[in-house]
Amino acid sequence: MTISRTARQTNERAWPTWAEVGRLAVVLLAAILLQTALAPHLRLLGAYPDFALIIVVCVALVKGSETGAVFGFLTGLISAIALMEPFGLSAFVFVLIGYLAGRYAETADLPAGVAPLLTVFIATLIAGVLLAMAQFLLAREVPLGFFFGRVLLPSLVLNTLLAAPIYLLVRVWLRGAGDLRAAAAR
Amino acid sequence: MNRRRVLRRRIVLAVLLLLSVALLTAYFRESDSGIAHGVQSGVLRAVGPLQSGTARVTKPFRDGWNWVGDLFSAKSQVKALKNEVQQLRAGLASELTTQAENDQLRALLDFQKDHVFPKDVDLVTARVIARTTSAWYSTVTISAGSSDGVDVYDPVINGQGLVGRITTVFANSAKVMLVTDQQSYIDSIVEPGGAQGIVSGSVTGDVTLEYVDKNEKVKVGQYIVTSGRDSSVFVRGIPIGQVESVGTQEVELYQSIAIKPWVDFRRLDIVQVVIR
Repeated sequence: MTISRTARQTNERAWPTWAEVGRLAVVLLAAILLQTALAPHLRLLGAYPDFALIIVVCVALVKGSETGAVFGFLTGLISAIALMEPFGLSAFVFVLIGYLAGRYAETADLPAGVAPLLTVFIATLIAGVLLAMAQFLLAREVPLGFFFGRVLLPSLVLNTLLAAPIYLLVRVWLRGAGDLRAAAAR
Repeated sequence: MNRRRVLRRRIVLAVLLLLSVALLTAYFRESDSGIAHGVQSGVLRAVGPLQSGTARVTKPFRDGWNWVGDLFSAKSQVKALKNEVQQLRAGLASELTTQAENDQLRALLDFQKDHVFPKDVDLVTARVIARTTSAWYSTVTISAGSSDGVDVYDPVINGQGLVGRITTVFANSAKVMLVTDQQSYIDSIVEPGGAQGIVSGSVTGDVTLEYVDKNEKVKVGQYIVTSGRDSSVFVRGIPIGQVESVGTQEVELYQSIAIKPWVDFRRLDIVQVVIR
């Protein structure tokens, strides 16, 4: 079973059904609650886990680029509202992340076990660099040593560690446990 | 069919990216009463109780997590505290024999009398309902807003000292910029002594006292409090922290003073807004 098959099957349909939209809404709510209520209190390795980013990547891997981009936009927008952060910044980054992760799932043929880890790692890297660039453009201080040593590196480790269990949960929720059993049998 | 799907995918991406940029531009260009801020205020009014409830529900788990973290750091803390006690005892014995100690104690007594904090102000108690996880901002959201009398620039305190100041106010919530934020600047004085300077945060979370004249005598352990001068947004005498180290370089005009804030910013829960 490769990661690309799952997303490609989804992409062949036009739009998600209402049942799928309902399930995605639950994932969206979970992402927001985890990011706003839990993440600020889980400081590990000097960084906070980015549940929103991880979940956007997982949804994109399971559902494809279009759904990934829309889901990323909504996640970024709502988390910015809930955390009183500037509108549009997280949304912009998450749209890109969702789209690229989805495209990767639709085109690459990596084993499902490796893909979430690799994708979350690269997504964290891209998001970190984009957000640091945005801070620079907003005339805020961005010391490179601090950024690489105390922001990017811990985030890469932490998010990658969390990627596998979250991907598993998102995939089971969105596609059912039968999909996993079938994948294991193949 | 395939080409149509590719086109649709690209259009979706382009529209969402443009929408994000438009929102970002609108957010920074408009005033606090603009549309984007209005939407944020409306949504926060609706989800505020949910955030507040979630913060309460998750408190036992957070306490448990902190307790585990404390266990790991307890051993090193005990060692550090033992060293500190020894140093304090030695220091105390030495100081008791000098006249300088009398002066210091008298000055400290005056400080406590003159700058009782906070005095003659109204306080609004609020709970921290959200905090950003971004490394670039040090902000929290509290459960009190304009309907409680909270206004922009109001100082926020807790039992330990100065937490920060209000930067954005909505009806039932407000955003607080913490003392550790890189855009936080607080007009302050060193007590005893009265040396003046600006306490500023940084992206690394370190807090420093800047613009203190090289001729001013500042010692490790002295207190930093808000100055409360006419142009300052803070009332006088709110404790900020203690001098941790003082560095002076010949080429610099000012001293480089590191501060250890009184407030534990990682464990903010209940705070009070000083209504001016």
